[in-house]
Amino acid sequence: MGYSAVVLAAGEGRRLRPLTTHRPKPMLPAATKPILEHVFDALIDAGVTDITVVVGYRRTRVQSEFGPSYRDVPLTYVTQDKQLGSGHALLAAEPATEGSTLVVNGDQLIDSRIIEDVIAAHDREPATATLGLVRRANVTRYGGVLLEDGAVTEIVENPRDDRGYQLNAGVYAFEPSIFEAIRRSEPRDGEQSLVDGIATLLEVGEEVRGVVSEGTWIDATYPWDLLRIADDLLEDGEERRIADSASVHEDATVLEPVVIDDDCVVGPGAVVGPNVSLGENVTIGSNATVERSVLDADTRVDNGATIRDCVTGRGVGIGPNSTVAGGPSDVEIGDRVHRETILGAVLADHVRDIGGVTYEPGTVVGHGAVCHGGSTVSGTIVADAEVWS
Amino acid sequence: MCGIIGYVGADRSNAADVLLHGLSQLEYRGYDSAGIALADGKLDVHKRQGELSALENALAGADIGNQTTGIGHTRWSTHGPPSDRNAHPHTDAENRVAVVHNGIIENYQGLRDELSAEGIDFRSETDTEVIPHLIAGFLEDGLDHEAAFRAAIDRLEGSYAVAAVFAGSETVYAARHESPLVLGLADDGTYLASDVPAFIEFTDRVIYLEDGEFARLEGDEISVTDSEGRVVETSIETIEWDPEDAGKSGYDHYMRKEINEQPSALRECFRGRLDELSGRVTLEEFEGFELNPPVTFVACGTSYHAALFGAQLFREWGVPAHAYLASEFEAETMPIDTDSVVVGVTQSGETADTLRALREANAAGATTVAVTNVVGSSAARETDRVLYIRAGPEISVAATKTFASQQAALTMLAAALSNHRSRDLVRELRSVPDRIQSVLDEDAAREVASTYADASAYFFIGRGYHYPVALEGALKMKEITYKHAEGFAAGELKHGPLALVTEQTPVFAIVTGDGRRAEKTIGNVKEVEARGTPVVAITDGRSEVGRYADHVLEVPSAGEITSSMVANVQLQRVAYWTAHELGRSIDKPRNLAKSVTVE
Repeated sequence: MGYSAVVLAAGEGRRLRPLTTHRPKPMLPAATKPILEHVFDALIDAGVTDITVVVGYRRTRVQSEFGPSYRDVPLTYVTQDKQLGSGHALLAAEPATEGSTLVVNGDQLIDSRIIEDVIAAHDREPATATLGLVRRANVTRYGGVLLEDGAVTEIVENPRDDRGYQLNAGVYAFEPSIFEAIRRSEPRDGEQSLVDGIATLLEVGEEVRGVVSEGTWIDATYPWDLLRIADDLLEDGEERRIADSASVHEDATVLEPVVIDDDCVVGPGAVVGPNVSLGENVTIGSNATVERSVLDADTRVDNGATIRDCVTGRGVGIGPNSTVAGGPSDVEIGDRVHRETILGAVLADHVRDIGGVTYEPGTVVGHGAVCHGGSTVSGTIVADAEVWS
Repeated sequence: MCGIIGYVGADRSNAADVLLHGLSQLEYRGYDSAGIALADGKLDVHKRQGELSALENALAGADIGNQTTGIGHTRWSTHGPPSDRNAHPHTDAENRVAVVHNGIIENYQGLRDELSAEGIDFRSETDTEVIPHLIAGFLEDGLDHEAAFRAAIDRLEGSYAVAAVFAGSETVYAARHESPLVLGLADDGTYLASDVPAFIEFTDRVIYLEDGEFARLEGDEISVTDSEGRVVETSIETIEWDPEDAGKSGYDHYMRKEINEQPSALRECFRGRLDELSGRVTLEEFEGFELNPPVTFVACGTSYHAALFGAQLFREWGVPAHAYLASEFEAETMPIDTDSVVVGVTQSGETADTLRALREANAAGATTVAVTNVVGSSAARETDRVLYIRAGPEISVAATKTFASQQAALTMLAAALSNHRSRDLVRELRSVPDRIQSVLDEDAAREVASTYADASAYFFIGRGYHYPVALEGALKMKEITYKHAEGFAAGELKHGPLALVTEQTPVFAIVTGDGRRAEKTIGNVKEVEARGTPVVAITDGRSEVGRYADHVLEVPSAGEITSSMVANVQLQRVAYWTAHELGRSIDKPRNLAKSVTVE
C-alpha cells in the first residue's frame, strides 16, 4: 500500500526576488528542472502513489507545468488563497487526505532517501508525527529539533543557542490529529506555522519522533544558491545530459559537466561549461562563452558574449559581446549586504541587453529591464528599468 | 454529432460504471441527452435529456450492478429535439435489441415509411430508431443476432457508427461507415467508442475499425469481419498519450487549462522541426514532397481561420494559395484535378464537412494533406500526407491551444514547402512559447473583460496576418459568451460595418509593428474612436495606436507573423474572462459540440 503525500508549493520565496516575480520558489530551476520536479521524483522513487499539491502564489505556473499527473502518479491541486504560513497551507489539503500522510516542502531539494527513512521510521514506531532531520553545522536559518532516543523533545524556529540541534528537513509523516494541533496553536504575525503545530503536539504529550537521514537536502535561500544546487546536481552526474532535440554545432566546445535541455542551440565556436545548465530552448550564439551558470528556458546569449557565475530567469536576452565577468563581490538583497558572494549577475525574466554591456560582479537586474548598448551595469536595477551608459 | 460506447466485461463486472465513465469522456462530442442499455438479462434501458449528470441522477437508485454487457450514447441533436424519447439507445417494440448510433441515416424516411406500413409504431423522431426495428424484423425472419444485425446495416445509407446489444446476450455488435469507431482490448474486457478517451483509462491497446467493417465483442475477444463476413486481420495499435491529460489539473475550466498550456503545446509542435543554425524548417512527414501550386485549403470554424493564415503565408513566400470553407467546397465545380494539392485543416480529423471535401479531392485525383491533432483520425488515414500539430487532447469545445498549434504548424508547412529559408523566422518561432507565457503572466485581459462584460456587441479588426486573428477573436467571443461579435478586415469597416459601431460596442484592434499595415489600421481605429466607441488595442507599443485606445493589451514586440499567434492569446483570455463574468457554461457552450461529424 503506497503512501499519499502532500507537497507544499504555495509560497513565493521573497528572498529569491526578483526571480520569483512570475513564479513561486518551487518552480525555480535546480539545474534545468524545477525544484518541485526533483521533489516529485523523490516522492515517486520512494513509492508514493498519490500526490496533493498545495498551490497559491502564481499557482497556474505549477498547474500548467505538471498538469493532472506526473510519471503516472495523479496530482490533485488545492489552493491556499492567502499565504498565511506552512500550517495554514497544510490545512488547505486536509479534505484531500486520509490516514497517515507524508508532508513535504516543495521548495527544497531532496532525494528519495530522506523520504524512505521517514516512511520506514513512521511504520516502525507508532507516532503522531515523524520528522525527517539532517545534520548541519548551522541551523539558525531553519527549524532546530532536539532528539532523545528517536523522540523529539523540543522544536525551535531559528534557534540561537548552541544545543545539539538537528535540522528540520521539512519531510514529515503525520497522523490526522496534526490538523487539530495546527488549529489550536496560536498564530504568530497572522501566520500559522507547521512547526508551531508540531510544538502543540509535544505540549499535549503526543508521540513525536525524528529520524536523522543521510539523504540530500539543499535549500536555496538566495538567488546565487541556485548555482550551488546546480553544482551539486552536476557533480552527482544524474542530471548531466545533452538532449536529443538540442543542436550543438560541431565546432562548439562542451566542457563537462553540463546539462543541455530540449531544443537548445549552441552555435559554432561557442564554449559551454564546465558547470553550466541550459534550460529548454536556450540559445548560445557563435563564439560565446558560458561558464558556471544556470540559464533558464528561452534565454539567448548572443554572439561573442562571455558569461560566468550567472543566474538568469526565462527569456533573458544577453546581447552580442556583453560580459558577465563573475567572481566575488558584495551583493545587496533587500536591506542586507552579503559579503564576498560569488555571483556574476542575476538577470530576472525577460531582462534584455542590446549588446556590449558589462555587468559588474554581484549585479541584480529586475524583470523586463533593458540595458542599452555599451552600458556598464552594477548594483540592483529595478524591474522594467531602462539602463543607459 | 454524438458519441457512442460499448463494453463487454470478461468476468462479473459493473458495465454501467464503465459506460458512464466513458460517456463522461465523450461529452465533448455532444451533451443534450444520454443513455445506456444493459443486456445480461432482459434489456435494461435508461436515458435522459440533459447533460450526463441527469442520467447519473436517474441511475442513482436503480439496480444496475453486476452486469457485464452494455452500450451507451451521448447525443447532439440532428433529427428531433433533445428529449428523453429521442435519447439513445433505441429499441424494437418487444425490447429484444437496443441500438446506439452516431451519424446520419440518409434513407431513414423511406425505411421509416416502409416499417410504418408494416404496422410498426415509432416512439421517437430520430433516424436511428429504424435500425432496431429493422433488426427485429430480420430476427422474426429467423436470422440469428449477428445475421440480423448485418442484414439491417446492409439496408442503411449515409454515415454511421452503430453498436447493438440483444436481451440475454453478452455480446456487442458494431459496424462503421464514415463515422469514427475505435475498439479497445484489455484483459478484463473489450471496448468500443467513438474516440479513445472513452476507455483509455482501462486500456491503451486499440484497433481502428475501417469503413464497411463489422466487429463482434465477446468477453476479452474481438473479431472483425468485412462486409462479406470474411475475417479481417487487424493491427493492434498502442496509444501513447497520457490519459490523465483529460483532467482539469486544478483549473475551473478545461478552456483556461488549455489556454495556459499553449507554451508547452507549441514547444511540442516545433520540436525537431526548426533549425536556427541553417534557418531551415524540416518536416519529416513531407520528405520528397514536390509542391505543385496552387495550394487549396479546406476547413471549418477555427480551423478555417488557421487555414486563411496558412494561405497568406504561402502567398507571401511566392506560392499561390487559397482557403475555402469546407462546406462551400465542391471539387467537381472547381479546377481540382490530378495536379492539385488540397490541404484539410481539422483538429479532430473527423470534421464531416472537411472529410467530405478531402474525399472529393481524392476522387478527383488531387494530392491531399491533413493538418490535424488526432493520430489515426479519419483525415489522417484518408490523405496522402499528414502534418500532426501535436497539441495534445483538447476538451473545451472552444478551440484555443489547437488554433495556436495550427498556426505554428501551417507556418512551418508554408516555409518548408515554399523553400523559404530564414534564420530570423526560425528565431522568432522559437521565441513564441516564451512570448505567450509573458501574456499569460499578466492580468490586463481580465480587467478589460470585466469593464466590457455588459457591452451589446464586440468587434474585432485586423489587417494582413491579424485579419484571421480578428475573425478568430470574434468566434471565441460568440461561442462562449453568447454575445454578438464580428471580426472584420480593418479596411472593410468603412464599407458598411461602421454603421454598427456605437458607444456600447467596444472595438478590439490588433496592431503590431510600425509599418504601413499598422499605420493604415490606426487610421481605421481613428474612425471608430471619433464616434465615441471604446477601443481596446492589442499592440506591441511600436506604433501610436495606444493614444487612441481606452485600453491596451500588450504583446511582446516581434514580426507580424508570430505576433499574430501571441495577440490571439490576449483575445482568448478576453473571451474567457467575459464568459466567466457572465456565468456561462464555458467548456460546453449551448448548441455546440467539439467536433462536428455531420455535414
